[in-house]
Amino acid sequence: MSEPRTPRSGGALPGLLKGLATTARTLARPTHTTEYPDAPPHLPPRSRGVIALLEENCTSCMLCARECPDWCIYIDSHKETLPATTPGGRERQRNVLDRFAIDFSLCMYCGICIEVCPFDALHWSPEFEYSELDIRDLLHEKDRLGQWMPTVPPPPALDEHSAEPAEVAAANKPARPARAAGAPPPARAARAERPERPERPARAERPARAERPEGTARPEPPADSVPAEPPTPPSTASESGSAETKSPEPTSGEDQ
Amino acid sequence: MTSSAGQRELTVGMGAGGLATADMVLNIGPQHPATHGVLRLRIVVDGERIVSAEPIVGYMHRGAEKLFEVRDYRQIVVLANRHDWLSAFSNELGVVLGVERMLGMEVPERAVWARTLLAELNRVLNHLMFLGSYPLELGAITPVFYAFREREELQAVMEEASGGRMHYMFNRVGGLKEDLPAGWLERVRYAVRAVRGRLPELESLIVGNEILEARTRGVGVLTAELIGAYGVSGPIARASGVDLDLRRDEPYLAYGELFGPSGPGRVVTRTAGDCLSRLEVLLEQVHVSLDLADACLERLHSLPQGPVNVRLPKVLKVPEGDLYTATENPLGLNGYYLVSRGEKTPWRLKLRSASFNNVAVLAEVLPGNLIADMVAILGSMFFVVGDIDK
Repeated sequence: MSEPRTPRSGGALPGLLKGLATTARTLARPTHTTEYPDAPPHLPPRSRGVIALLEENCTSCMLCARECPDWCIYIDSHKETLPATTPGGRERQRNVLDRFAIDFSLCMYCGICIEVCPFDALHWSPEFEYSELDIRDLLHEKDRLGQWMPTVPPPPALDEHSAEPAEVAAANKPARPARAAGAPPPARAARAERPERPERPARAERPARAERPEGTARPEPPADSVPAEPPTPPSTASESGSAETKSPEPTSGEDQ
Repeated sequence: MTSSAGQRELTVGMGAGGLATADMVLNIGPQHPATHGVLRLRIVVDGERIVSAEPIVGYMHRGAEKLFEVRDYRQIVVLANRHDWLSAFSNELGVVLGVERMLGMEVPERAVWARTLLAELNRVLNHLMFLGSYPLELGAITPVFYAFREREELQAVMEEASGGRMHYMFNRVGGLKEDLPAGWLERVRYAVRAVRGRLPELESLIVGNEILEARTRGVGVLTAELIGAYGVSGPIARASGVDLDLRRDEPYLAYGELFGPSGPGRVVTRTAGDCLSRLEVLLEQVHVSLDLADACLERLHSLPQGPVNVRLPKVLKVPEGDLYTATENPLGLNGYYLVSRGEKTPWRLKLRSASFNNVAVLAEVLPGNLIADMVAILGSMFFVVGDIDK
């Protein structure tokens, strides 16, 4: 310690002063921080704060509960049989959501449940002030999850270089005019079916066929929304066939 | 006390040379502020001098590798970004790159550049954390405030794109989760410019500071042989002159172009191998990463319209086989050895994390040093305990 003392003690002072000079330079600048509880933070719309549930959209298909990496979503539901609305019609079954709960003490905030939800029943909200004194209170039941719904912001606009949304791309597809020009009046079903698959072309015969692969491919409640089609006349059947991916509205509408 | 010589002598009391001393076992941690995390060091000291040291790890073992085996490839991303919580984006990247390679999947160009941009921003975030916390361990309180101000700037743009501040969850097999928000690139450009503009303030507190140099110069020298023997990687290895950077040597993402002849990428190395050079490498890497981020922004502006992900099948199954994917994480080489048996979960996913090897070398570096220097050496290894224990 004795021999190197001189360079070291002489060296510490300029170091201190230089540091203080930097501090002094930034002293007059406005603060970068805000007084949090008084000044709420500005959070972007994608911010993953809390998960909100839009109960009407939920068909209790259980996809979210199954895909959750730590299985923190609890869903109870039962099937209800609805009497036929028209004489001679068919009885229909629908799922009724009894319980939907997310345990935020387990949740890892990954957003997979929101991503997999086929009916947009789950949404991110940037709200974050829901800490509790008791860990058990972090289990939010469906009414609590529903209360977050008004805080869900609209999604941000996308970058100008982003690919156009699938819906827009499908609408702009030149396939349909080509088909109309190719063979307008006769044999519409037979010809259109082969070249363009995703276009729901064959209106007269499609609904009956389309619903079966849909129903078997995914075990979700669209299955019970699709049976709504047969009783309706073919003209509306084509319409509901196009809207079969977002079926909860037609379901609830016809059930009541 | 000489700062240049490797051996530092401290003589206390009179006739201390003749005193009989007994070795003492001292446990540092697992709950010790200097170990930032739950790393435990069992050191044997002879007076002030460390005779032997042994890092004892595992206090934060979460069995990540086993958890990977029962999760599909989207759920793995959630876990993979958590072992090293300071470089979450790079961790996710390794998993999805491995899966994409095994699937032979082509990732859209915009996704490649956006991933590169986010990975470099993540690297800056990680390095800023250590540039703030390392001086803190050496007794300088101020730098951490400067570092965190810059971190906040970058975290804001990361959050705007991904929704998360630490666990971004923005990578998916085949690209990114969703497209970038409108105007985001401009805000990133602004943030990068702001960080670069204010970095000199942080540097002025660290670089050339006599106190910091006295604590770090010549302390904890790592030789290239030790680095080879222990598999140390990343900025720590480069500080000892080991010129290894996967971004240049085994390019993934867009790094092949960025580290090409006309690209802004360069590998930062030092030769001294002491704590100071490790810090210097970190600091200079921040500059390089900001340059890389600028280049990515430039490219993202000029790329044609296009998607950032590919449509995946409902059930994603990786074909049978195995593949080791290594990426240059902020802390060093991060590798995933993925063995698939054609199912929707990996049969085995071995995780090679940088911090584990970087900390293992402590047993070789610490002996012969003083206890006060132990903090300096420990801090300069830039590890994350979650990355050690997995």
